[in-house]
Parts: sequence; C-alpha cells; structure tokens
Amino acid sequence: MGRRDRDQVGAWMRKTSILWVVWLCFVTIGFAQQRNTLQHFENVSVDSARHLVAYEQRLYRNPVVGLLELSELLAPLGVNEFIPLYQGVPIARYRLGETITTTILSRKERADWVRERKFDSRRYKLDFRLQPEFIAQFGFRERPLESKTNLLLQSQLYLSRGLVLNWGVLFPIVNHLDNQSLNVRPAPTFLNQFLALDGANFMSLSAGLFYNDQYGVNVQYRHTDLTKNWSFGLESGYTGFYYFPQSGFYYESLQNLIVLADVAYRIPSRDVTIKLSGGQYMYQDRGARLDVIRQMGNVEVGFFAVKTGDGTTGGFNFAIPIPPGRIAQTNRVRLRTTEEFRWEYAYTRGYSIATRYRVGYQLDALLRQYQQHYLQNQYQ
Amino acid sequence: MTNDVYTYTFKKAQLQKAGKKVFMVGLLLLGGLYSTRLCAQVNVSGKSGLIYIPTAEVQDDRTFSAGYIYNPINYAIKFNKRNSESIYFVNLVVLPRFEVNVNLLRPNGTIPFMEGGIGDRQLDLKYVFLTEKAKRPSVAVILSAPFGVDNSLLTHAVIATKHLPVAKSITAIVTVGLGSPYSVGRRTNTNDILSDFALEDKRDLPYHYLTGPFGGVNINFASKGGVMVEWDSQHLNVGAYALLFKHWTVQAGLLNGDQLTMSTSYSLNVFQLPKRIRKHGKA
Repeated sequence: MGRRDRDQVGAWMRKTSILWVVWLCFVTIGFAQQRNTLQHFENVSVDSARHLVAYEQRLYRNPVVGLLELSELLAPLGVNEFIPLYQGVPIARYRLGETITTTILSRKERADWVRERKFDSRRYKLDFRLQPEFIAQFGFRERPLESKTNLLLQSQLYLSRGLVLNWGVLFPIVNHLDNQSLNVRPAPTFLNQFLALDGANFMSLSAGLFYNDQYGVNVQYRHTDLTKNWSFGLESGYTGFYYFPQSGFYYESLQNLIVLADVAYRIPSRDVTIKLSGGQYMYQDRGARLDVIRQMGNVEVGFFAVKTGDGTTGGFNFAIPIPPGRIAQTNRVRLRTTEEFRWEYAYTRGYSIATRYRVGYQLDALLRQYQQHYLQNQYQ
Repeated sequence: MTNDVYTYTFKKAQLQKAGKKVFMVGLLLLGGLYSTRLCAQVNVSGKSGLIYIPTAEVQDDRTFSAGYIYNPINYAIKFNKRNSESIYFVNLVVLPRFEVNVNLLRPNGTIPFMEGGIGDRQLDLKYVFLTEKAKRPSVAVILSAPFGVDNSLLTHAVIATKHLPVAKSITAIVTVGLGSPYSVGRRTNTNDILSDFALEDKRDLPYHYLTGPFGGVNINFASKGGVMVEWDSQHLNVGAYALLFKHWTVQAGLLNGDQLTMSTSYSLNVFQLPKRIRKHGKA
C-alpha cells in the first residue's frame, strides 16, 4: 500500500467512525422519542359505518407491523377492515379476525373508491429517508472489497394518485470501484406511476434517472391475485448510461433494451417463492434465471442461478430494513432510515451476466409483501 | 516523513479501536431487541459444531448467525505452517432442517502475490434428514458447493448427533461422523460456474480437513456454556465456550495440545415482530 492509499484508508476510517456515531445517536433518539403511533401513518381515512380504514404507511418493510399497530390503535372504534395504500392506490382489503381474510378489490370497487375520495398530496408527510448504497465486488488481496459506498438522502413527492417523484441527494463515502469522484450529487431522480388495473393486475411505470447509472424508461406489469399462489409478470426498459461528474451532467444515448418475462409460484406454508424469468438483459445478453426466495418476517432472502449468453453464475440476495427506522417525525415532516436495503451477490464477476439496473421497487417484490399467506403466517 | 508514518499508524490503531468499540455497543443494542434463546456453538466454518467438527444439531427455522474464527498457523487449512487464518461466516436456516453457510477463509500476514486472492469463498449446504428421537440420533449431511476453484475448507460429511442428559441442566451432546476425502471442484475460473469440474482428493492438500471418521462430545451446562473434546480425523482437540446475552458465543480451543484457536459468533432469529405488537402476531 502506498502512502496515498493509507491516507485514503485513514480518511475512510475517520468517515466511517463518524457515521457509526451518528447512527448510534439516531438509534438513541429513535428509542427515546415519545410514541405517537398515529403519526406513523399517512392518508388515513376511517369509515366507521363499514368498520373500515384506508391508510398508507412508508415506515415498515413488513406491512404486518403497520397493520397490527393500526388495528390496536383503532380497536376502540371497532375497525376490523384495513385497506393499505401504496402511493395512494389501494392494494387489497384485509379483515382481521381469527385469521386475516384477504379480499381483492374489483375494478368497480376501485372506480367507486376514486370517485369517493379526492387525492390530496397534503395528506402525506415530507418524508426523508436515509438509504445506504453499497455497490461492491470482491476484489484481490490488496483490497479484498472494491466498493462504491454512498449514503442517499431521499424523498418522495406525491403528485397525484399513484404518481410519485423520487428525488434526493447522494453523499459519497468511498469509491474503490471506478474513477468517479466523490462529489455530492443528485440521487436517482425519477417519476413512478403505480397502477392497479383491477383486483389482480398491477403496473409500475418509471421514467428518469435510475440506480446503477442508467436513465430512461421502465415498465412492469404483473398479474397476481394476492390470495392465489401463481403469478406472472412482464418487464421492459430502454435505458442509457449517465452520471454526474464534478460539474454538469454526462449521458450517452439510449441503448440498453431489456425485455423480461417471469412466472412465479408461491409455497404458502413456507413463504417461499420460486420464480423462473428470462429474456434479454442489459448489453443484449439473453438467458434465463431461477430464483428461490423466502420471506421471513421483516427480512427476505433469496438464492438464484442464471444462465445467459455471457455465462452461468449463481448467488444470493437479501432485503432488510435498516434500524432504527423512524428517527424524528411530526405531522408534516419525517426523517427515517430506509425500510429496505437490498443487496445481491453473484459468484462470478466481470462477465456482466444478466446485468440489470434498479428502479425504485420491483413490482413482484412489492406485491408478494401483501400476499395473504405471508400476512397470515405472521398473525396469531 | 518517518514521523508522519508513525503518527499515522498510531492514529489508525486508535481509530480502529474506537470503531470496534462503537460496533460492539451497536451489537449489544441490537441484542436488546431480540429475546429468543439460541444456542450457537459453531465449528471452524461457522456451522453448529465443536471446534473443527460439525454436528447434526437442528437450529430453529430462520436462525441467522455470523461470526469470526481464528485458525492458528500449524493447523492452517490453506497455507499450512505458513499463514494463520481468519475465517468469516454467515449461516442461515433457510428452511426447517436446511441450512446455508457462506464462509470466507483469508490467510493472515503476507503471502506471495500470485497466490493472493480475496480468499476462499465457500457455500455449504446442510440438511438434517433424520431428527432426534428418544432412541435415535439426528443425522445430517453437509456438502460444499462444487463451484469453487482452489478450495481448502471443504466439508463433505455425514454426521449423527445425540443429546444425552447427564444431570439436571447438564447435557452431553455426542457426535460421530465420516468425512469424505474426495470432493468436486472446478479447475479454472471461467464465466461458467457449471463447467470444468474435476474430482479432487483432499489428501493432496498440505492439511486434511475432515477426511475420515471423526467424533466428539460437547458437555453443555444449562445452555450457558460448556466444554468440548473431539477427534477431528487428524488430531485430538479440546475447547470451551460461553453464551453471553443469549446471542453471543465466545469460544476457544486447543488443537492437538499445541496451538490455540478462537472464535466469536452472534445469532438471532430473523422472524420476529417488534415486542409492542407481538401479542397479536405469532412471529
């Protein structure tokens, strides 16, 4: 290691120690804060005649936590039916009794819903989320981990029903992966429209600057009845490379077309999803991928194998919430850590096998969190 | 210039120390969030086990553990008698009776440039195909995935384990097993992890890990700690461990009456709802 390297390591140590301390402060504040549970929820509307409540919660990765918290809060009102919203759009109706009964919402019910309730973005907080980003590959002995680690301060602007502008600021911490400088820059900024076409058909449309230095458009469609085990989906995207140098904005033309289809089966008793997907990945790499994913409460762990023209590999991935969650909140503003940190490790590196980029959420991952059995398996 | 370098080293050590302290406090705080009792006595690769040998014990579904093992120079598995080793692992009970273990073995100190890599990565699978009954031990099989190149810490074994109550709150956990000297690996690192397989003989390596019959006894006192003795197919090892704060295991062992090995691990169940709403949910 040269002296310059050591200086860098020293600087990195200093930075990370500070981060740890800041994190600990947050944890302490998070615990110490007076609990005002209703503040965890947004866009809450109670229909006491039908014992029903519609609400949105962005704090917990696991919808069961919000559901049970709210049910305890609203028990005196006799509320036992819950409609969680995602970006203002109802997902399904859940009745809490001896078990959780899931009812999907028909096209007519959804149309009535839209007619009865005007969307009001003031019913949402200005929500700031701290999201670490860790892009890494296991390198060589001199530097076992080549990483690009950033801390993102992100927020969402609710524009209309289902339409959200994701934006934020990216604070770079370390970069041993490529030669991008450590300049503070905009975090991925993009529009996302979430759509529920009827009870079992959902769409997610995104446009803007995504993660992994790709900008463009991405469309996802999924057919999934939240009470059934089979589901299938389609995804397509057209993107190009971009990044923020020290000053200005650099981008290349749109050139990466991805077209992917998948079919998934869920083993309800174990919360295991087996998903077979295939098509064209980035850099015109075509092939197929098998995922086995298990949902374990707040955490999700998956294993995968993939075979494409560029090679064959496998690995694992996980999604975890980052403690402490809520740091400080009022009725209007909130600072919190991310509800989901997602990471994937592939055994092989350097061959760009089945490469893809990330948008805000994947439709299949979002919807399986609202699957009847996943909720039921954690209930009573 | 020289001064500068010395100051630097000093600072670095201090910072590392501070960093570790903060990390430990964080770990303890995290520990306070969970309350299930877990016994996470681990072997050299981070599986339920004694010092070197694994056992056929069944961990609770969705138990996650992570830890570090120091393996001394004379018993180093990769560069035997040349570099002591650091072994890092994570272990998850992915399905009831089915565990996945990911470990990374890194030689300590300097090694020739050409031999330098990140270290040995292993993905090991364990399946307990018979659970323990009154008169029957639990029986498990452990297999390292065959995707690695230039492997060292490989486990290919069949193991049987039985819990025998000795006195009130003292249990003897007896394990016997057989390790295969043969393994499958890949000759070269290519873009296809399903190609270029070859049959390898672990006895060609400078140090043989689990090649042949092995066994051991772990005497556990009220799930709080214990002592162990084992035959690892090459040597006789003894050790002791303690479980702190219900989640944190520290252990030490003496290999072949010669050198010390040490390890630390942390274990928790990831299927837990927050305490305040736990009465409603079953998780």
